[in-house]
Amino acid sequence: MSDVVEKTLTALPSLLSLDSQPGSAKLSSTSKLGNLIRGITELTSKHEEEKLIQRELASIKEQVSSPNTSMRQMKELMVRAIYCESLGYEASFSYIHAIKLAQQGTVLEKRVGYLAVSLFLNESHELLLLLVNTVLKDLQSTNLIEVCMALTVVSQMFPKDMIPAILPLVEEKLNHPKEIIRRKAVLALYKFYLIAPNQVQHIHNKFRKALCDKDPGVMTASLHIYLQMIQENPEGYKDLTVSFVTILKQVVGGKLPMDFNYHSVPAPWLQIQLLRILSLLGKNDQSTSEIMYEVLDESLRRAEMNHNITYAILYECVKCIYTIHPKSDLLEKAAKCIGNFVLSPKINLKYLGLKALTYVVQQDPKLALQHQMTIIECLDHPDLIIKRETLELLFRITNAQNVTVIVEKMLEFLRINTDDYTTIDLVGKVAELAEKYP
Amino acid sequence: MIKFMLMVNRQGQTRLSRYYQSVELSRRAALEADVVRCCLSRKKDQCSFVEYKDFKLVYRQYAALYIVVGVTDTENELSIYELVHNFVEVLDKYFSRVSELDIMFNLDRVHIILDEMIQNGHIVETNKSRILAPLTALDKMADG
Repeated sequence: MSDVVEKTLTALPSLLSLDSQPGSAKLSSTSKLGNLIRGITELTSKHEEEKLIQRELASIKEQVSSPNTSMRQMKELMVRAIYCESLGYEASFSYIHAIKLAQQGTVLEKRVGYLAVSLFLNESHELLLLLVNTVLKDLQSTNLIEVCMALTVVSQMFPKDMIPAILPLVEEKLNHPKEIIRRKAVLALYKFYLIAPNQVQHIHNKFRKALCDKDPGVMTASLHIYLQMIQENPEGYKDLTVSFVTILKQVVGGKLPMDFNYHSVPAPWLQIQLLRILSLLGKNDQSTSEIMYEVLDESLRRAEMNHNITYAILYECVKCIYTIHPKSDLLEKAAKCIGNFVLSPKINLKYLGLKALTYVVQQDPKLALQHQMTIIECLDHPDLIIKRETLELLFRITNAQNVTVIVEKMLEFLRINTDDYTTIDLVGKVAELAEKYP
Repeated sequence: MIKFMLMVNRQGQTRLSRYYQSVELSRRAALEADVVRCCLSRKKDQCSFVEYKDFKLVYRQYAALYIVVGVTDTENELSIYELVHNFVEVLDKYFSRVSELDIMFNLDRVHIILDEMIQNGHIVETNKSRILAPLTALDKMADG
């Protein structure tokens, strides 16, 4: 993208010289947006921006209220309204028209209508109720694209009180032959679980079905619900540990189709999600932890390649190993991994290493000791973020011997720090230490 | 979880903004300006993760465009860093080597793509073909 991005705003004038042609509606409306953006870009003051946008909003307002405006034109108007709002200028007069666009537009127009609604409104907005009928209609459409977009919008926002009206339709979609519909139905149910958990109590067995779905996408969608439920009640899902372990094994072993790869790594974000789930299940539970040791070892082994995403997986893996019931050889490998991160010249990895050390230092204070030279170096690192993270780590390993030095370093940092939140946090820590070691 | 995603250029002009946790319209411009200022002041050899207020920013620069994602503390920063890259690769695939202009003039399409990847602040799809499938189908229907 790098050199092509240099096709910057200076190229705009030549590209937009076509805007005077009356014939081609598409071209002229695109250039209206283009004109608007170019106009904004060329301005140098906030005052001028305000004037331009107010003029634009007035123009949009006039056109949306006109009976002569086609849905095609309405679509372009909505995109311009979205742009205005993204600059911080309210265009609430257009909200109702976004809903109308979703109701009356042809397929692409409808999608933009739904998009506009999801950007303009929020959960508690009264206009959202007007969308329910349109969504209900589209959910029953024979056109699968319309079903998809209805499910997408339901997953983004839906009035809590109307869930009973739509729930049966969504549940039905769980058995649809197309994986995309099943997947989106699961995500819609996840949304319902987030906003009204008692409404979906009765369909927990359907979540299990989704977990075992032959399509990896549907299975992945169900993990969102499971992660949430397991966070709330790990005991209730220990029996699923074997399933999660099996899935992770298959993913790590490269059993998924190629298009799930990212830079040759199989479904990395899915691996991370599974590792988080396993952490929760194995915590303080020896027998459950024992089920996962093998796959964790395998994950550590496979994530050997030098790419950021494998490091991200390794980090999650290491966290998992330190969270669950300890196993010495896994801990050894994990410790080595943390060491590699902390010693890495790549600054993002160093940061992760420090973060990992902070996390594990309670269980393994020796590890911090092992890397103390590097930690001391990080204290004087030019990057304030690294410094800050190091102080966080040091706070955890404070003892009667080093407390004075550590507090001194914290005070030093406070003198150069400009961020309020960090100041408050550090001052709190210093106070805590002062109390602990008077 | 992901709180928001922004695409901002070096002049501080927002090209795209998506909030997964409600932020009042009037407060957004100030937040975005502050976030961008924060990221613009970082050097090349510094960490891509910034502690900001009580959450974190993960940012990535592509020529003149900064993509900034606000995430809660519990998120794996490096995985989000790569998610941003995945997003750019998807845009590259759809627009055949995407540029800032493509993003500006196809605001709706970029949002539609993002909708397929992130919902409710969680990563829901990372498979490029699956992310693009609905939009490609829409394009076909709109043309035909």
